[in-house]
Amino acid sequence: MPLRLLKYALSREHPAPRFFRDCTEPKKTYDAVIIGGGGHGLAAAYYLAKDHGITNVAVLEKGYIGGGNTGRNTTIVRSNYLTPEGVNFYNASVKLFEDLSEELDINLFYSNRGHFTLAHTDSAMRTMRWRAEVNKHVGVESYVVGPDEISKACPQLDISCSGQAPILGALYHAPGSVARHDAVAWGYAKEADRMGVEIFQSTEVTGIDVKSGKVVGVQTSKGYISTNRVLSAVAGFTPRICEMVDVETPIVIHPLQACVTEPMKPWLDTILVSGSLHVYVSQSSRGELVMGSSLDPYEIHSTRSSLDFVEGLTSHITDMFPFLGNVKVVRQWAGMADLTPDFAPIMGKTEVEGFYIDAGWGTWGFKATPISGKTMAETIARDMAPDMIRSFRLSRFEDYELTGEKGAASVGH
Amino acid sequence: MKLLQCPVNGIRPVSEFTYGGEYREMPDADTCSDKEWATYVHHRHGAPGLKKEWWYHGPSGTWFIAERNTLTDKVSRTYLYGQENKA
Amino acid sequence: MTLRIAEQENEWINRDMPLTFEYEGQQIEAYEGDTISSALWAADIKVLGRSFKYHRARGLLSFANHDVNALMTDGQDTNIRADVIPVTHGMQLTAVNTDGGVLKDKGRYIDKISAFLPVGFYYKTFHKPKWMFPFWEDKIRKAAGLGKVNFNYPRITRAKRYAHCDVLVVGAGASGLSAALEAADAGSQVILVDENRKIGGSLTYDMAADVNTGSLLKQLTENVLNHPNIRVIADAYAGGYYTDHLVPIVEKRGITKVRAGSIIVASGVFEQPPVFRYNDLPGVMLSSAAQRLVNRYSVKPFTKGIVVTANDYGYRAALDLAAANVEIVAVIDMRQTGADGDLTAKVKQAGIAVHLGSCIYEVVPTSDKMGVSAVVVCAYDEATAEADLHQQVVLHCDGVAMSAGWAPAAALLYQAGTQMRYDEAVQQFVPNQLPDGVFAAGKVNGIFELEQRMLDGKRAGAEASRYLGKTTVSPVEVTAHRGNSPSHPYPIVNHPKAKNFVDFDEDIQVKDFINAAKEGFDNIELMKRFTTVGMGPSQGKHSNMNAIRILARIRDLPVEKIGSTTARPFFHPTPIGHLGGRGFHPHRLTAMHEWHVKEGAVMMEAGVWMRPAYYLPAGVKISNQQAVQQEALAVRKSAGMIDGSTLGKIEVFGKDAAAFLERFYTGKFASQKVGNSRIAMLLDEAGVIVDDGVAVRLDQDKFYVSTNSSNAATVYREMQRNLQLWGMQVTLVNLTGVMSAMTLAGPSSRSILSEVTELDLLDEAFPQGAYREALVAGVKARVMRVAFVSDLAFEIHVPSSAGLHVWQKIMDAGKTYGIRPFGTDAQRLLRLEMGHHLISHDTDGLTNPFEAHADSLVAMDKPFFIGQRSLKILQKKPLKKKLVRFVLDTNFSEMPKECNLVIENGEIAGRVTSISFSEYVNRVIGFAFVLPEQAKAGNQFAIRTDSGRMEMAEVVEDAFLSLSQG
Repeated sequence: MPLRLLKYALSREHPAPRFFRDCTEPKKTYDAVIIGGGGHGLAAAYYLAKDHGITNVAVLEKGYIGGGNTGRNTTIVRSNYLTPEGVNFYNASVKLFEDLSEELDINLFYSNRGHFTLAHTDSAMRTMRWRAEVNKHVGVESYVVGPDEISKACPQLDISCSGQAPILGALYHAPGSVARHDAVAWGYAKEADRMGVEIFQSTEVTGIDVKSGKVVGVQTSKGYISTNRVLSAVAGFTPRICEMVDVETPIVIHPLQACVTEPMKPWLDTILVSGSLHVYVSQSSRGELVMGSSLDPYEIHSTRSSLDFVEGLTSHITDMFPFLGNVKVVRQWAGMADLTPDFAPIMGKTEVEGFYIDAGWGTWGFKATPISGKTMAETIARDMAPDMIRSFRLSRFEDYELTGEKGAASVGH
Repeated sequence: MKLLQCPVNGIRPVSEFTYGGEYREMPDADTCSDKEWATYVHHRHGAPGLKKEWWYHGPSGTWFIAERNTLTDKVSRTYLYGQENKA
Repeated sequence: MTLRIAEQENEWINRDMPLTFEYEGQQIEAYEGDTISSALWAADIKVLGRSFKYHRARGLLSFANHDVNALMTDGQDTNIRADVIPVTHGMQLTAVNTDGGVLKDKGRYIDKISAFLPVGFYYKTFHKPKWMFPFWEDKIRKAAGLGKVNFNYPRITRAKRYAHCDVLVVGAGASGLSAALEAADAGSQVILVDENRKIGGSLTYDMAADVNTGSLLKQLTENVLNHPNIRVIADAYAGGYYTDHLVPIVEKRGITKVRAGSIIVASGVFEQPPVFRYNDLPGVMLSSAAQRLVNRYSVKPFTKGIVVTANDYGYRAALDLAAANVEIVAVIDMRQTGADGDLTAKVKQAGIAVHLGSCIYEVVPTSDKMGVSAVVVCAYDEATAEADLHQQVVLHCDGVAMSAGWAPAAALLYQAGTQMRYDEAVQQFVPNQLPDGVFAAGKVNGIFELEQRMLDGKRAGAEASRYLGKTTVSPVEVTAHRGNSPSHPYPIVNHPKAKNFVDFDEDIQVKDFINAAKEGFDNIELMKRFTTVGMGPSQGKHSNMNAIRILARIRDLPVEKIGSTTARPFFHPTPIGHLGGRGFHPHRLTAMHEWHVKEGAVMMEAGVWMRPAYYLPAGVKISNQQAVQQEALAVRKSAGMIDGSTLGKIEVFGKDAAAFLERFYTGKFASQKVGNSRIAMLLDEAGVIVDDGVAVRLDQDKFYVSTNSSNAATVYREMQRNLQLWGMQVTLVNLTGVMSAMTLAGPSSRSILSEVTELDLLDEAFPQGAYREALVAGVKARVMRVAFVSDLAFEIHVPSSAGLHVWQKIMDAGKTYGIRPFGTDAQRLLRLEMGHHLISHDTDGLTNPFEAHADSLVAMDKPFFIGQRSLKILQKKPLKKKLVRFVLDTNFSEMPKECNLVIENGEIAGRVTSISFSEYVNRVIGFAFVLPEQAKAGNQFAIRTDSGRMEMAEVVEDAFLSLSQG
C-alpha cells in the first residue's frame, strides 16, 4: 500500500483540496480566452501558463470540463501514422503522455499495452507496411507482424475471424497505450488552475467580436470579456464557433459511437483495431471491454445513439472473439467528431488576427491532447505556429497541400 | 434505424440510402478565382441547421434532395433535384 | 431451515416440479419457476455474492434485475444475474469475483483497508515513481472485473426478428395494461412488452394485503391476453429507444426490432434504498424485493424483521409480510407525519408497532458480518438527516425491509429526447415535454395511486390513438398526485463512522460524494465520473437518484437545479450475441466462381466480390509464387484467361451521351469513332484520380463504359448524380452484375478465340482498341481488343447466364495451346511488365494525373470536366512527387517490398508502390513514387528494405517488356 494513501486513513477531514476553483464571475479582460474546457483547451491553458508565463487566461466551457469528446473517446494513445509530420507530432504527444502523470501529479492510468492494427486484405497489409516504414524512419517502434505473433499477444483472437475475414498480419505499434481520459482533463485543469488560469464551467460563448480583422472580445452567457487572443478548442462545435468569426473550414460533424461491456476479469492485454471489420477494442482497468467502430455515415450535430452501430460492432467483435456471445453490452454513447478531408487536424492561425484554431480532430483527438496543448500555447504566445504543426494549417486546403494521411483512411483509432 | 422518404419509393429504412453530402452550388469554373474554387472544393458549411443534401436510394438508384435539420436529424421534405417547386 | 411458506394462489413457482442444483458446492432444493436468488433465499442462503470493490458479503437488494452483487457463473456462462435468471435442475453455480468461495473470499481484506482507499484514490497514487505503475496496475487490473470469461463459450448466433405495430406499450403494470387496452380498443395494433415473466407489474406483488388486487390483476390480464389487437411479449425488455420509434425488444431467444407508430412508456419506477450504516448486509433489502419474494415465490425475506420506511410503501410491505406470517417487529418511519389514510391503523391492527420520526441508525451485523442480528433505532431529524443517539433502542431481528422512494424508469423517455422536470409533489423527475408520438403513463409519469394510474394509462392510450389518427372517446382526466410523496427528499441517516452505501454496484458511500464535491467534482456529471456512481452494470438504477439528492444537499440547491444524468441504452445489459445477430458478410460471386474453386483457385476479397488470386490445382506441388509466375509466363508464351466479371460495366446512351462523358471523364469522347475504345479516367473535384476504365463507342449515342472492380458502384452512382445535376438527355444502365467478362491474353489468344468465333481477328480487321459484336461460342458477345496485360488480348463480355459456358468453351479451345487461367496476382505482374499502373494500388488518395504520368489522358482544352478547375490550380504548382517505372539493380541482396521507402539524403523521397520479379523479363521491376527531380529515365535511386539495407534502382521510360526484347 503506497504511503500516499495513509493520510486519507489518518485525517478526520478529507485531506484533499479542490482540483480547481469554482470560478463563477469572469473578469472584464484576459490576455487570452480559450473556448472549450476539454483536454485540448485545458492543456493549452496549462502550457500557456507553464511554458510562456501567460496566466491571465480564462477557459470557457459550455458544459462541464472534459464532458465532450475528452470523456467520450476510447482512450487510445498511439503514434503509428502515415506521414512523417503526423508520426512526429503524435510521437511527441506519446512522449508527453508518458511523463504526464508525474508532471500533473495525478494518476492518468497511462497504460502501455501495445497496439495491433489487423490487416485482413492484401491492400491493408500494404498500408501497414507503409506506416511501419514511415514510423521506423522517424524512430517510432512499429513493424509488420504475422498471425503467429498476433496470436501470441492475444491467444483468444480467432485469426480466421470465424472464417469471414482471415487476418493476414498486423501493424504492431509498441508504444500504443490507453489512459484514463477524464483524468487528463482534470489533471490539466488542476495544474492550470494552480498557476492562475480561471476555468468557467456552464459558460457559453455566444459571439466573438472582431474589429478590422482582429479579435477584440468574446460575448458569453456570463457577460462580455475583452481579449485579443481567442483559441477555439471545441471539437464538434468548431463550425459554430468559426461561424462567429466568418472563418471557413472543411470541417463536418459526424457522430462517433462507442460502447462498453460489463466488467470481467482481465484477459485482453493489448489494443486491437481492425479496419476491415470496423472494430477497435481494449479492456479497461475496470475490466470492461471498451469498443468502437467507424464514424456514422452522415452529418448530425448530436450525441444520439443508433442501434445499427451496436449491431454492426457486436457482429464483428464476435467474428474476432466468438466466445463473447453472452457477454453483455452495458452502455453505448456517442461523441461529435469534427472531420477534415485529409484525416489530419487543423491547427494554428486563421485569417482573423488573434483567432486561433485547434480542430479537425475527427477520431484521433484524445491522443494528441498534450502536444496540441503545447503547440497551440506556443502559437498563441508567439502569434506564430511552430514548425511541428505547420502542415496542419487551415490554409493548406486553399493551397491544395493536403496532408498525406488521406492515403491511409479506414478506421484508425 | 432511421426512416427516410424517397420521393419515388416512399418511406424506407436509412440503411437503404447513401448520404451524398450537402448540395452546394458550383461556382462558374471559368470566372471564379482560384481561392473561390478551392473554397468550393474543400470547405463546407459545417454549422448545424436546415440543409439541402444529396441522398441516394440504393435499391432503386434514385438520387434526390432531402431538406434536413442536421441538429435534430428531422427531414422536412424530399424531392428530386430540380423539382423543388413541384414537391 | 426453509423460508418457503405454504402454497399461495398466485405464486410463480410450480410445486409439482421440484429440482435440485448446486451453489458453492452445496445441494439446494428448489422449484421450477424459482429464480436462483429465490431458491437460495428459500434455503436460507443469504450470501449471494461479493461486492465489486470491497468484497463485502451481499444478499438480495432489488430482486428486480439489478442485483449486481449477486452474479454467478455456471462454469459456462458468467455474470449470471441470480435475482432474475430461473434456476434449472442440475445447475452448478458459484458466485463470481471471489477468491476462495463466497463465504471465505480472501478479497474481503479490502473492506478492512477501505479507509486508505478514499474516493478516486487511484488518481492520487501509484504514479510516482513512474516505473512502479505497471506493478500497481497489474494488481488493480486483477482486482477489478467481475466474472471470468469462458473462452470456450460457443458462438451462438440468434436471428433478429422484425415487428411493426401502431402502439408499443413498455411495461405491463396497471397503467401499461390500461393503456394497451385503450389503444387496442381504438383499433390500434398493440405490442405490450414487460420484463417480468408474468404481466401485472406491481399488482403481482404490492398488495398491502388487499385481496382485491388479485381480482383486478386477473381481470386486466384476461382482457389483455384475450384482446385480438394486443400482442404480449413478456420476459423481455425494451433495450432502448432509437430514432423514429425503433425499439429492440430483447428476449432470451433473441432481439425483435419493433418499429412502432407511437410509444407509451409505462415502465414504472425503481425502488431506492434509504442510506444508513450496514444497509448492504445480506438480509437488508428493498421492500419491493421483500414483497416480490413473498408474493411471487412464497419465500419469507426473514423470519423476524423490521420495516424502515420514508414513505407509505413500507406500510404496504409490512402488511404483505404480516399476511404471510412474517413477524414484523416494527415499522420505523423516518417521517414525523406517518402514513396517509388507514395504512397506520391497518399496520397496528396487524400487531406491528409504528415509530414515527425514527430511523435505523445502524444495523447490528451478526458476528461473521454476513447477516443481521439487530437494528439500532434512533429518533431522526428529517431536516438535518441526523439521528439522535440519546433516544435509541436496539431491536433484535434477522432482516430489514426498506422503503424510501422511487426513481423513474425513464431511460427510454430520455433517449427519445423527453425533457424532464422535478415534481415536488412526488419528489421525482417526471416528463415535462414529450417528443412527438411518445407518451408516458403511470408511476414513471408521477402518477402513483392505483385508480389514477389506470386512468393515466387510459389517457395515454387515447392520446396515442389520437396521434395515430384514430377516434377515441372523450378525453380522460387524471388527478395529479395528492397526499404523501411516494419518495422522500433525503432518506439518508448521517453516521460519522459508517460506510453508508449509496451505489451497491460500485461500493460508493455518502462520504465519497461529499469528498468528491470537496475536490471540485460538484456537478452531477463530474461527480458521476469521479466517483463512478451509476457506472456499474445496473447503470445507477438504485443509486443515481440518491446521488443527485446528496449533491443537491451539498450544494444547497434544489434537486431540479442539479439535473439528472442521461440514460444511455441499454436498459439492461444486453448480450453481444443477441445484438450481433447472425452476422452478415455479403460477397458477390461471378458466374465462373465454381469453376475457379474446382480448379484450385485461392480466392481473395476484391471489394464486394471474390476473385481468384492464383490457382493451385490439385496434385500439383508449387508455391504461390511459382503459380503466379507460371500463370504469367503462360500469357507471355501462349495464352491465359482471367475472369474480369467484377469490372464495373455501364451503358451510357442518349442524345447527350458523348457530351456527358466529356464532362464526366478527363478525355475526349465527342470525336471518338464508333467501334473504338478510349481510356476513361475519372477525377474528384480536387483533381485526384478516382478511377480509370475504358469507354467503347457502340453507336453515335451509345457508350459501354467499364470501371475498376472496386469502384463499380461509386462510379455508377456519381454518373447518376451528375446526370441529374447537369440535366442531360442520357440513360444509364448498370450491367455490372448482368454481364460476365473475361480477358483472353497472349500470343495464342487470337488462334484460340478464332476457334469459337467467326469474327475476323486479324490486326487490320480488328486493331488495337477496337470493339466488335459477334457470336462467341454461340453466344452474342461484345469483344474488345485490349492491351492491359499483353500486346495481344481480347476482352469478351457476355450475359452472365452464358458466362460459364463461354469461359469453358474458350478454355477447351485453348487446351492444345497450353492455356492457363490466371488470377489477380498474375494480372498485377503482367500489367506491370506492360508498364501500366493500377489506380489505388500505385496511386493513393492524393495522387493527381500529373504525378501519375497521365497528362496525356487529360484534355485540359475541353470546356469542363470534373476536377479540371482544380488541375488548373495544380498545374501552376511544382510537382511534389512522380510515379516512375524502375528496374532493380541485378546484384541486389534483399528484395524490397511494396511500400518500402525511397530514401534520398536520409529523407523520405517516395515509396515503392509495385514490385515484382518477372521471370519473363528476368528482372525485378516496379513502380515507385520519387521526387520529381529523380524521375528522369536512367536516374538511380535508393530503396530502403525491411532490414534497412539500401538497394539501388533505375528509372526506366518504357514498358518493361522491351527490356527482355533488348
